[in-house]
Amino acid sequence: MSEHKFQQAELADLVGVIERLAGELSLAEEPARFAAALEDGAPRAGGPPAPGSRSAR
Amino acid sequence: MVELTSLAAVAAAIRHGKVSPVEVTRYCLDRIARLDGRLRAFITVDADGALAAARRLEAEAARGQWRGPLHGVPLAFKDLCAIGGLPTSCGTRARDYFTAEQDCTAVRRLLDAGGVNLGKLNMTELAMGALGDNPHHGHARNPWAPEHCTGGSSSGSGVAVAAGLAAGAIGTDTGGSIRLPAAFCGITGLKPTYGRVSRAGAMALSWSNDHIGPMARTAADCALMLQAMAGPDPLDATASVHPVDDYVAALDGPVRGLRIGVAEALLGQGLTAEMQAAVRAAASVFGTLGARVEAVRLPDLQAVADVTGLISRSEGSTLHAGLLRDRPEELGAFTRARLELGLGVPAFDYLQALRLRARLARSFIREVWGEVDALVAPVIAEPAPPLSFAVEGDVQTIVERQGRFSRLTRPFNGLGMPALSLPCGFSAAGLPLGFQLVGRPFDEAIVLRLGHAYQGATDWHRRVPALAA
Repeated sequence: MSEHKFQQAELADLVGVIERLAGELSLAEEPARFAAALEDGAPRAGGPPAPGSRSAR
Repeated sequence: MVELTSLAAVAAAIRHGKVSPVEVTRYCLDRIARLDGRLRAFITVDADGALAAARRLEAEAARGQWRGPLHGVPLAFKDLCAIGGLPTSCGTRARDYFTAEQDCTAVRRLLDAGGVNLGKLNMTELAMGALGDNPHHGHARNPWAPEHCTGGSSSGSGVAVAAGLAAGAIGTDTGGSIRLPAAFCGITGLKPTYGRVSRAGAMALSWSNDHIGPMARTAADCALMLQAMAGPDPLDATASVHPVDDYVAALDGPVRGLRIGVAEALLGQGLTAEMQAAVRAAASVFGTLGARVEAVRLPDLQAVADVTGLISRSEGSTLHAGLLRDRPEELGAFTRARLELGLGVPAFDYLQALRLRARLARSFIREVWGEVDALVAPVIAEPAPPLSFAVEGDVQTIVERQGRFSRLTRPFNGLGMPALSLPCGFSAAGLPLGFQLVGRPFDEAIVLRLGHAYQGATDWHRRVPALAA
């Protein structure tokens, strides 16, 4: 396979995956929610969670 | 004379007057002069600047003035960090590819804490590539086996620390570029949470996936460095204002009762038998330390890797389009192919990928961190391959080989979670083996604590390569 064809195939594969996964996205989803997810998923203020904690976030 | 067994040991020796900043700096410069002609860890050595800084710090120490916990400790920085007065090649053919209005914030904070800048470290071209080769500045050489890859893209950072040329180094990690050279070279490297360390003053490859972090001998060394580097920065809008923990104080906290999840799905992904055994053995150490070690199911990390890869390709090509357009002949074939690929990503798919990333991160947090406090996972599936693996063959072959080595690391860039690479053994051929500890967002304190406890129970991190002068 030529380099160009290889790249085209690789790009098509990647784009195909994204479009398949994106079909499940809600209208509320947007990129800024990533940073919010990290903040929400962090241990609560005051330090790391107690050993064995099971706090669902 | 103190050898660079650990950054913390050097800092303590200086603080207790057992060795001076000038002596330690001269020790490093002497090793660089003797060894780096063949190791190729450095692109620029700033001997005069380092000695001048060391003399200033020595005079201050004599007056009882201490800048911080890194006072007099020799450090080196990946050559994509802007530092006034020194060129920043970013691994390209151009001597000074990247300039910034301000020095790299992470570097400045380490120097403000007392570090001495030895110079700028080798890296792959534009921080692309997992293996550590560089067609312009010479391939960095693995101190354990010079005909083998160092891992990339922070190749010189891995080599400089492993070979005892510097006590610590800065690396950057967009798809594994701190953790891979740490694992290949048998040292410890931390990719912090996305936004934990400012990216200001460092060349970007992907503003969504780039992370700056410490590389050193031990988890405790990484804690010392991260303590200085972490925190908000008005020069980087993505630097988080989340409170910075006391990482050093947290190192000796309890491990008993923590729940460690073993990422079985990743362990099944083509690991060599010796790598798999070494990672499982590492997980079992946490059991002996009183942690609860259990298998854990992970969400689909291949989807995360694909989303992360598309975002990185698109952003990298956007950032470096000028070089690709104006001087493509200067680029290595692999870098050029990666940049060309990114130019073809439709805006629609790039934006969908960014939306997907947010959802995937939330799913991972909910499904995994409700069950365990940290993950044990492989960082590489096999030890460092021969250098020929990185440089011989057509572009398609090299792209496929490079991808093989980032598949276990890239998902945690997209997820933005902290991941610490630690040495956990050696192959039959004498090459380092490694694993990674992954933690909750902004929970570097637990990841470093676990790493520190592991290194208290093992001695892999104390092994050093035999390097003849």
